[in-house]
Amino acid sequence: MTKIVVVTSGKGGVGKTTTSASFATGLAMRGLKTCVIDFDVGLRNLDLIMGVERRVVYDLINVVNDEIKLTQALIKDKQLDKLYILAASQTRDKDALKQEGVERVLEELKAMEFDYIVCDSPAGIETGALMAMHYADEALVVTNPEVSSVRDSDRILGMLSSKTKRAIEGGEPVKEHLLITRYNPNRVEGGQMLSLDDIHDILRTPLIGVIPESESVLQASNQGTPAIHLADTDVAEAYKDVVARFLGEDKPMRFTEAVKPSWFKRVFGGK
Amino acid sequence: MVDTTRDSSGRRSAARAGTFEMKSRRFSLLGLVLHSADLSEFAADWAARAGQGGFENEPVVIDLSQLPRAAAPAAAPTEGQAPLALDGPAPLDLRAVVELLRASQLQPVAVAGATAEELALAHELGLADAADEPAPAMAAPTETVREVVREITVERVVEKPAAPAPTMIVDKPLRSGQRIYAKGGDLVVLALVNHGAEVIADGSVHVYAPLRGKAIAGARGDTTARIYAQSLEAELLSIAGIYRTAENPLPAEVAGKPAQVLLDGEKLLMQPLAF
Repeated sequence: MTKIVVVTSGKGGVGKTTTSASFATGLAMRGLKTCVIDFDVGLRNLDLIMGVERRVVYDLINVVNDEIKLTQALIKDKQLDKLYILAASQTRDKDALKQEGVERVLEELKAMEFDYIVCDSPAGIETGALMAMHYADEALVVTNPEVSSVRDSDRILGMLSSKTKRAIEGGEPVKEHLLITRYNPNRVEGGQMLSLDDIHDILRTPLIGVIPESESVLQASNQGTPAIHLADTDVAEAYKDVVARFLGEDKPMRFTEAVKPSWFKRVFGGK
Repeated sequence: MVDTTRDSSGRRSAARAGTFEMKSRRFSLLGLVLHSADLSEFAADWAARAGQGGFENEPVVIDLSQLPRAAAPAAAPTEGQAPLALDGPAPLDLRAVVELLRASQLQPVAVAGATAEELALAHELGLADAADEPAPAMAAPTETVREVVREITVERVVEKPAAPAPTMIVDKPLRSGQRIYAKGGDLVVLALVNHGAEVIADGSVHVYAPLRGKAIAGARGDTTARIYAQSLEAELLSIAGIYRTAENPLPAEVAGKPAQVLLDGEKLLMQPLAF
């Protein structure tokens, strides 16, 4: 049974695409047949982060408009044979997304026996974001530890419980998971960032993971590698934990405690 | 784009025999209580206070019982604006009032407390008589408004204490951008009401969780409505149109604590609740 997971946030720049790429990759690393779809029509960048930019010939809009077959637009990952990418169009805008077309694409993917379809939502609460979440079974709501991002996530959580297909048809609600990215425990201690407790108090949504703030995310994006592939980094470990928890494994939270700089660093400075 | 959930206390179709059925039903109606028969004065006041519309073709009963009437010779007209003609106040131009209300997207359906002449005119205008007391013998209502008349008549017949207004219960979190309106009754929310959410009720608002959004009780002017919250952190509190925003921080004895908000004259009182 194929599960559709939307990665959404409301606010832009919080790490949706980074999360979609790493999460989908993580599922595929577990041997699950996964397709990640970029719904950010007009501002695509999932293909960049997945390192397949140069291989994009056809995109989601071509398939939605029935111009080509789905299989022609699916890009197979070079490292993982269970992972496929469906890029967004750079030249169209979000109005080109038609609900029937999106539904048909998702149905075709289901027929191809994908285990998971990960929908990378655009920022905002307009058509693109609504399309990305409409057919979702589960949602990863990506939040940064700051007030405006948390407020926007609250808005998106409200829409997940009222505007999605499941909500409209009155079925079981979309299962919501909160993912906090760019978390810096030291800055939380300094009072510059909201703490996990603060965020939980506002949103009351089950936490699926905390991704620490890290330079390696930027490095990974620039290289076109999903952050989860970066060996021995906190970010990759944190994303692997997220995938594990998503699949029902019990993993304690990591990277959430402030680390005191060692005496060596305190004496000699440095980061 | 506002997520609006409405009370479902309206009609719901169910499998039934026949093309219709007659049922005794109670409906909440707006009542327009007139205090002056002077049309120009009323029109100006209406334009100032309600003229911008915002009504959704709701039914309204025009209550004439409070109009200054030609009193018995002994009692001088205590109310009223100008010295009136000795033979009683000028009669109300009901037709003009009806037109004014229709222009503001209200649907006058009946008059209450009308004199015989006013009633005759009301019938001519397609309005029914919604008398509060056991009705005096009255003419059969005109045919065009048969359904409406039935609704009103039922309201008069009920003699038992008023049936409790429907209470709306919400058990999932209300988040930014969501709005709940309990029309005609109380609203009970069992999950949090976040910043940017709105909880509105014609009666009282009860929130058994943190109340951080906007809470509006007595949305149609019920001054006895109250707001109860397990943790009062609201952005806006309003009862019967008297409101307060979070610009002035809530008093320390109620902020973030169980509290109730009620109206004392023109003032919102906030009282801690000790459990």
